[in-house]
Amino acid sequence: MTQIGEVALWVALLLALWGTATAFVGGRAGRGDLVLSAERSVYGVLGLLLVASGAIIAAFLGNEYRYQYVAGYSNRELSVFYKITGLWAGQTGSLVFWALLLALFSALAVFQNRERNREFMPYVTGTLLVILAFFLVVVLSASNPFKMLEFTPADGRGLNPQLQNYWMTIHPPTLYLGFTAFTIPFAFAVSALLSGRLDTRWITTTRRWTLLAWFFLTNGIIFGMMWAYVELGWGGWWFWDPVENASLLPWLTGTAFLHSVMIQEKRGMLKVWNVFLIMATFLLSILATFLTRSGLIESVHSFAQNLTIAYIFLGFLTTLIVVSAGLVWWRRDRLSSDAQVESFLSREAAFLTNNLVFVAAMFAVLWGTLFPLISEGFTGQKIATGPPFFDRVNIPLGLLLLALMGIGPVIAWRRASPRNLRRNFVGPLLAGTAVGLGMLAGGVRHTYAILTFALGAFTLATVAIEFWKGTRARARIEGEGALVALVHLVGRNRRRYGGYIVHVGLVVGFMGIAGKAFYVEETLALRPGESMTIASPFGHTYRLTYQDMSWYTATNMTKLVASVAVEKDGRRAGMLTAEKRTYRQREEVASEVGIRRAWNEDLYLILAGIDDPNGVVQGTNPRPVATFRVLVNALVPWIWTGGFIMAVGTLIALWPGREEPRPSPARAARPAAAGRPREREPELVEA
Amino acid sequence: MKRQHRFVAAALVLVGIVGYLFITGMKDSMIYYYTPDELLAKTAADASVHDVGVKVGGRVVPGTVKFDQRTLDLRFDVVDIASGRGRFPVHYQGPLPDTFEEGRDVVVEGRYTQAGAFEATTVLTKCGSRYEAVEEDYRA
Repeated sequence: MTQIGEVALWVALLLALWGTATAFVGGRAGRGDLVLSAERSVYGVLGLLLVASGAIIAAFLGNEYRYQYVAGYSNRELSVFYKITGLWAGQTGSLVFWALLLALFSALAVFQNRERNREFMPYVTGTLLVILAFFLVVVLSASNPFKMLEFTPADGRGLNPQLQNYWMTIHPPTLYLGFTAFTIPFAFAVSALLSGRLDTRWITTTRRWTLLAWFFLTNGIIFGMMWAYVELGWGGWWFWDPVENASLLPWLTGTAFLHSVMIQEKRGMLKVWNVFLIMATFLLSILATFLTRSGLIESVHSFAQNLTIAYIFLGFLTTLIVVSAGLVWWRRDRLSSDAQVESFLSREAAFLTNNLVFVAAMFAVLWGTLFPLISEGFTGQKIATGPPFFDRVNIPLGLLLLALMGIGPVIAWRRASPRNLRRNFVGPLLAGTAVGLGMLAGGVRHTYAILTFALGAFTLATVAIEFWKGTRARARIEGEGALVALVHLVGRNRRRYGGYIVHVGLVVGFMGIAGKAFYVEETLALRPGESMTIASPFGHTYRLTYQDMSWYTATNMTKLVASVAVEKDGRRAGMLTAEKRTYRQREEVASEVGIRRAWNEDLYLILAGIDDPNGVVQGTNPRPVATFRVLVNALVPWIWTGGFIMAVGTLIALWPGREEPRPSPARAARPAAAGRPREREPELVEA
Repeated sequence: MKRQHRFVAAALVLVGIVGYLFITGMKDSMIYYYTPDELLAKTAADASVHDVGVKVGGRVVPGTVKFDQRTLDLRFDVVDIASGRGRFPVHYQGPLPDTFEEGRDVVVEGRYTQAGAFEATTVLTKCGSRYEAVEEDYRA
């Protein structure tokens, strides 16, 4: 029965090819019936991919180990939850899953625009179907999840223990949602080029899609960091690993795009640049999928060495680059700028710098990630770059961004007057300087950490002043209470204030990252009853006493659990456990760390070694010597808090519904008095 | 038009700074990948390779692993995966990686000293083959 899934994939491919042809022919010839057929093909492909994905899940649940994919990622002991998520546990399934998500978004976009943007839709539909057809070709030719083994094994190999973690089940889908959602604005950009309608319509109509993609991508990256933090057991959350880098690349260009489109909307500039950015974002999403799934570059989560896939992906990427560049070249005269930058002290200049920084960071990460491949290709010698390279380039760029986040949103368009600068920046500059000097006085000597907090304080102050000014004006004019005024202010200008909240989240996250400067680490072997102490950078001291070692058997593993009592400054502060798990099916060992979370730091306990693990299980040695690695990770909780604030801010900006179409009364009431022609936020076009 | 030139110049300055960070960053963090055979041949030919950071992928020789739980002192021999010839001892100070085992493929990063021992700063168990099911595995 499950073989129906493979049939569904073949039919989906045929349908996608049919739809591609009818979409482009129909769009060119103005044949509405053909375009309609293409749009229905999108729904059809979605249905068929649902069938194929359902069949894969059914094969997992039914323990059908004659399928190579199921046998490779499941076994009888695996819980139902991980069997369902088996759909994206490995390469073959995850490519089907990618196509499924893209089909879902495509169908949504087609449905949403069934009566709007009709001049765009034929080419949008065609572009989406080409990409779907490509993924189906990859799946069917090089990575078929329904491939049978020559015999049926009694049991599967089981799922890699490190993937048996809830973050790992939610991290790949979230990233994939981000990657695939960026395809929609890309398809609209291609359609705008093909149809020649190169005003801001393609941008405004896909604004929510871009934000949605950014929302998923941001959260996907953060979930990946959380997974690495709890599961890899190294006490770190980012390793400049090729696969992590791959997901960061489209995020960098996507974020640049979110900002640069505002310049085009307000000032009619950067038209080529915006097309270029969204194309780059989409291409980098494809590259990220490809890097993750081809294992071309050695990485902690590379999945496979499948060169067929590598060649198909490279061919597809090259074609996309050539076609995209060709389209831009063809339409170059319609993409000329309506205006020019007038002054360094202007919002345009700040946004341009922001864009340069994002793109520079993207190139640095791309270069560092692909360098082993490049060097091997050209010199035959494989040379890697380590984290120092990424840190060296990206930390200064990150600090520059931190400053721009404070400057960009409040500096005047065109040319800032001295008055504008004074009004907006004197207070924040004082705040930043005070924080920097305060840290110096407190004995902090880490330059980057001080700069992060000083610039962060500067940016937070500009945002706080924006909120305060807006709320005060609204409260006065509408006669509302402060809280009501604040809610209305944000609600009526969601894109703007949602954006500010995202900035606040990013500042908090950057501060959390800068906490790395203060990490402390101790490694010690202890007998039961012995203690170790570790001093937190916040001044208090933890004392950890190793109490005992116990062991348990679960369905698919044996656990050795060390219990450690924690005291903070002599007062009892609970227990921590750290485990070593031996998985029966694969005979693999995985560590589970113990983390005591506080608002400002994590106490992170790793069970690094057990003297006589067999003796514990056999009962001959109940009190083994155990080696513990203990870290105090300062400010790590701020990274997650920052991520949460960013998610809330994005949702505020993204939430459907109309915004106030008129300039807000607060600003309309005193445009002359303010002495600066601040353009109002454009009305949000329904997306 | 003149003003536009100023902006281009400013952008070029920024690009220049990033380029400088790029080049110095590359110099500081370049790591050469070798197989054990290549490492032994390179160091024999050019003694300066002893001072360069290298990453070596090899196989842990069964029966050579010694790990002291108390001091976290790990010693083992690594052999060339393809040829089975080039072999050298590795010393590492730190907790045993979870998936470390005799006979497993590992990547060690560090320096190959004049004394003929590899002082590793990190030991990574190779994951590439681990995640993907290989058909031969079922036959074993």
